[in-house]
Amino acid sequence: MLNKYDCLEKLAAYRNPNDIVVTTMSVAMPWASISDGPLDFASVDSAMGHAADFAYGLALAQPDRRVITLNGDGSTLMCLGTLVTLSQHPTPNYTLVITENGTYEVTGNQPVPGNNVIDYETIARGAGLTEVHTISDVDDFDTKLPLHFLAQGPAVFVWKIERSSEPVPKTRQPIAERAHRLRDALI
Amino acid sequence: MLSALLLLEHIKNQGVTDVVGLPDNGSRALFEALCIDSSVRVINVSREGETFAIASGLYLGGRKPIVIIQNTGFLETGDAFRGTSYNMAIPIVMIMGYRGYKTMAPGSERVDTAATFLEPTLNAWNIPYSLLLADEEIEPQLNDAFSKAEATSLPAAVLLGCDTE
Repeated sequence: MLNKYDCLEKLAAYRNPNDIVVTTMSVAMPWASISDGPLDFASVDSAMGHAADFAYGLALAQPDRRVITLNGDGSTLMCLGTLVTLSQHPTPNYTLVITENGTYEVTGNQPVPGNNVIDYETIARGAGLTEVHTISDVDDFDTKLPLHFLAQGPAVFVWKIERSSEPVPKTRQPIAERAHRLRDALI
Repeated sequence: MLSALLLLEHIKNQGVTDVVGLPDNGSRALFEALCIDSSVRVINVSREGETFAIASGLYLGGRKPIVIIQNTGFLETGDAFRGTSYNMAIPIVMIMGYRGYKTMAPGSERVDTAATFLEPTLNAWNIPYSLLLADEEIEPQLNDAFSKAEATSLPAAVLLGCDTE
């Protein structure tokens, strides 16, 4: 199993400063503690399940930048059709990370539906996506870290992570302010 | 019936770069025209909630998208609409098929609840909207919707009261 916090540190260290990173739920605040610039967008006070498709819109609009979404497994389940939408209009600059811990972490780690049977890699491949990787140990993560930025997208990485206990995320700025800060940085 | 080609012409005149949507019977001809024209990118979604999330990302990235969905789809989008376009203050114009509009006429055999709940829902969201029933109204209503969206930095809607052809 992977440690979420270690993975985020490594991802941040490898990231190009022009890359956009969209986070949500139990990853949002840990990521913000590492990086909280205009190109870091926490999808908080937004709509659960819609970070991945929101980031996809950014990727379509900004083809010269990598857009990485750090999504949860519960969030992914809320909008599984997005995997199909991604495959219909492929964006080479788009990476979706599904942090899989099997629970809704910020509400107290209640199990997500199908947590003991679901296989996100199979679902993603069934949706038509081909660049899909499941990572469950540190050595494999270190090997595949560059692929998060270099693989022909839409690329999906399923991180099998240990459970932790992040609280409900809170941001300092309202979402509209954060959104338009991002826009100002992009155009 | 509304002219799909005229509607497309005025959508293009607004500088729209992307249509994010899901066709219905009312917008069928418009989607067909969009697919043939290819000067406006069309992003078909799996479920309507995705439209506002994707369109919001497109807008923040510098594009000028619109959303085209049916009213049933708008009712489905609820939280996605609130949490993305609305909360993010994105001036998205949506063109919406008004399923059941004619069933609200006096004497109709039944009333389609998709129509019953649409305008009260738009009013609850405080979304400005207009009802499009004739070709000569396409240009002024689109102008008005884009102006209102820009002025408020919030979504605005044009409802298709009849099918496109």
